[in-house]
Amino acid sequence: MKLLRQLLNNKKALVGLIILTIIVLVAIFAPLLTEYSPTRRVGRPHQAPSWDHWMGTTRLGHDVFSRLVHGARVSLAVGFGAGLLITVIGTVLGIIAGYKGGVVDEVINFFTNMVLVIPNLPLLLVLAAFIGQASPMVIAIILGFTSWAWGVRVTRSETLSIRQRDFVKSAEMLGEPSWRIMLFEIFPNLISIVGINFIGSVIFAVITEATLEFLGLGDPNTVSWGIMLYNAQNSAALSVGAWWDILAPCFALAFLGLGLALLNFAIDEIANPRLRTGGMLNRWTRMVRIGEGKL
Amino acid sequence: MAFLLRRLAFYLAAFLVAATINFFLPRLMPGDPIEIMFASAGAELSLENLNALKLTFGFIDAPLHEQYFAYLQSVFTGDLGRSIKYFPLPVTELLGRALLWTLGLMGIATIISFTLGSFLGIFAAWRRGRLVDSVISLGAIFSSSVPAVVVSLIMLFIFGYTLRWFPNGYAANPLIDPAWNWTYISSVLYHGTLPMLTLVFVLTGGFGVTMRNNMINLLGEDYIVMARAKGLSDNNVMLWYAARNALLPTVSSLAIAIGTILGGSLVTEVVFNYPGLGNTLYQAIIARDYPVIQGQLLIMTAAMLISNFVVDLSYVLLDPRLKKA
Amino acid sequence: MSDPVLSVRNLNIDYVGAETNFHAVKNVSFDIAPGEFFGLAGESGCGKSTIAFAVSRLHRPPALIRTGSEILVSGRDVLSLNDADLRKFRWREVAMVFQSAMNSLNPVLTIEAQFYDVLRAHGPISRAEAHARATELLKLVDIAPERLDNYPHQCSGGMRQRIVIAICLALNPKLLIMDEPTTALDVVVQREILQRIDVLRKKLGFSVLFITHDLGLMVQVSDRIGIMLEGELVEVNDAQTIYRHPQHPYTQQLWASMPKLHGEQTRREPVL
Repeated sequence: MKLLRQLLNNKKALVGLIILTIIVLVAIFAPLLTEYSPTRRVGRPHQAPSWDHWMGTTRLGHDVFSRLVHGARVSLAVGFGAGLLITVIGTVLGIIAGYKGGVVDEVINFFTNMVLVIPNLPLLLVLAAFIGQASPMVIAIILGFTSWAWGVRVTRSETLSIRQRDFVKSAEMLGEPSWRIMLFEIFPNLISIVGINFIGSVIFAVITEATLEFLGLGDPNTVSWGIMLYNAQNSAALSVGAWWDILAPCFALAFLGLGLALLNFAIDEIANPRLRTGGMLNRWTRMVRIGEGKL
Repeated sequence: MAFLLRRLAFYLAAFLVAATINFFLPRLMPGDPIEIMFASAGAELSLENLNALKLTFGFIDAPLHEQYFAYLQSVFTGDLGRSIKYFPLPVTELLGRALLWTLGLMGIATIISFTLGSFLGIFAAWRRGRLVDSVISLGAIFSSSVPAVVVSLIMLFIFGYTLRWFPNGYAANPLIDPAWNWTYISSVLYHGTLPMLTLVFVLTGGFGVTMRNNMINLLGEDYIVMARAKGLSDNNVMLWYAARNALLPTVSSLAIAIGTILGGSLVTEVVFNYPGLGNTLYQAIIARDYPVIQGQLLIMTAAMLISNFVVDLSYVLLDPRLKKA
Repeated sequence: MSDPVLSVRNLNIDYVGAETNFHAVKNVSFDIAPGEFFGLAGESGCGKSTIAFAVSRLHRPPALIRTGSEILVSGRDVLSLNDADLRKFRWREVAMVFQSAMNSLNPVLTIEAQFYDVLRAHGPISRAEAHARATELLKLVDIAPERLDNYPHQCSGGMRQRIVIAICLALNPKLLIMDEPTTALDVVVQREILQRIDVLRKKLGFSVLFITHDLGLMVQVSDRIGIMLEGELVEVNDAQTIYRHPQHPYTQQLWASMPKLHGEQTRREPVL
């Protein structure tokens, strides 16, 4: 709750939350926002934006706006689904490695470092290529199972320092079982790290899903921003002058990315007071300017 | 020295893991692995050639572990099989040619964006909370949050198709013969500008934010305050005391970022039709040319491990505490 | 009596917050005479380090030295110096040993480089001259000149502390500020360092502003002592008076809270 209040007081977080809310609302109410089906031919191929088709039509005569608002559902679902999976795996492994130490730690740490040096996108490309035309769900799952390493690394190092604190020591003295200590003593102190990990993973998942689909590894019948890019690229939209076909999903992805990144930056500031700027510095500058003091 | 040897052993193990993934992936898929691997070959491939390919990928009449060692033997002797689409071109040759373009593009973009991002980050941290900081921070957030594919497409749209300042594809004018002369080199530079700018845009923000945050965490350290108390100039304190130390964690984050840089580079190449690994791979994905797709994982892993090793080396040079260890 | 080396008048320092300010130093005034060893004692957070930082003007936002405050070093108004003059003033007039000696040296520069940069910042000097000067300074604190090629992590904590002191003396400052310089060191090294400072002070003639929460240690080394409570300077007296006849109730309280080391003996006898 305290975190939420701090978030609302931070300008970057507020703008980020507003952007996210807009996209979530658009995704939820997609069918109400447009009369066109995203998967039916509703106009001539590559019609420029007009009153009838706000964002024009694709090569196949689909309505771009309709595909965009419906596609938001897939981007958000994959982003948050995969983000959640990545965060859960990363946090659980990180806490166990950091708290248990010893052989457990060494094994987890070894695998984490290993996964960190195998390039992620090439690995995903191989996996996706063998799976064939991957549905958004499949993409989310393979993202979840291949991208947790960074989370383990930060959670583990934070757990290592929390483990030394008095309240953990005293819980140990009282004979609390280790799963209780990890869940109720350590985890609550990792909330901001977990938050940063989660938002960062969502950004990563959104970008990577779009990239995999753009590269032709997704299911071309899906309505998602990545597939929109893939279709537009395949129909040579830019060279035939159908810029709307490409720019619409581009701006949607940039908008979502920006919202999430602002939120991430804000959580970082809240978690690390040294990074915070905000109110006091503005007030300080004003006081210096009116001659109330100096450094 | 022991530190570097330990890292080398670790990288070798990581490479082995990548090879192992390659080995098991087709065998874990439902269906006949041989059929999956060489599905796109069709009837053009003679039985003789097909058998040679099977041997390379360890598809022999033997227990699994012998198959595994057969495959590892091919990998470690540098035989990654042949491309099916461009048969009989060996995968190593196909990817090796492409790798040069990718490394050039990626390497130069990384150097530019790391330098630029670090300086912006240093400057923002030094003027923390002032206008410069806000502008740089917001710019960095924006640059690091937009997918490379989006930036490439927008760049291509603005500078390639609308303003027509730069070409829309290829590494050089295809009508000019490759040679070490100015005509060819200038054509390469001209064609490389947009993909390069795209990568620099995508990467600079991340390096900037990392450097800024590392710097801010350092500015409270006693040696920074002492440097100021010594009457050193701001530039001296900022560069030799703060930035020099903040560079260490920033360089280690560079090692992790190399994977992301590689990914960004692959996508950018596809958009700009640049003849690097990304584009070769894109063609291979469309054709389901599995030997090439598998080969790229090994080559990119190797590239990533070598870059990591370079980062390790520079870390040893930058941090005197590691030299004696 | 000669003019004071440091003269602080009506010093007020705030830490500016988003809504309200924290008034960290309240109307503090005191003088330090040439060659004097002056101690400033109080609990952590009472504002004593804030004063030390203000003398060399090392504060960063959101700290704010309020208008009307005056800090004079050898009669010169420190608060009205411009940036260039301030840089020249620092270290030449006032040098400072910081709380943790372990972290006062830049970990990625050699010891010699950290002598060289301060010498060069305050006047033209060649590498060779700087090397000779650094050797001479290290001799003052009994450190072999070979250490100049070392990095800080290659020296022990006590050695680093002495190196910092040697760097402090590089420009013959009039005032040496020591901000809890010994908290991270063990008792033996602590005492050794303070004795060394005292010898150097008598030899070179600088004044010392010594800041600590350890009143017992302070009484042993200081000429005069100021006691701080929540930003205010509540008592200034010579060390013997502070020790034998503390005036302010807070000073008495401080003595009462000192740990009893040897049975009935509540106060350590000064050794110096």
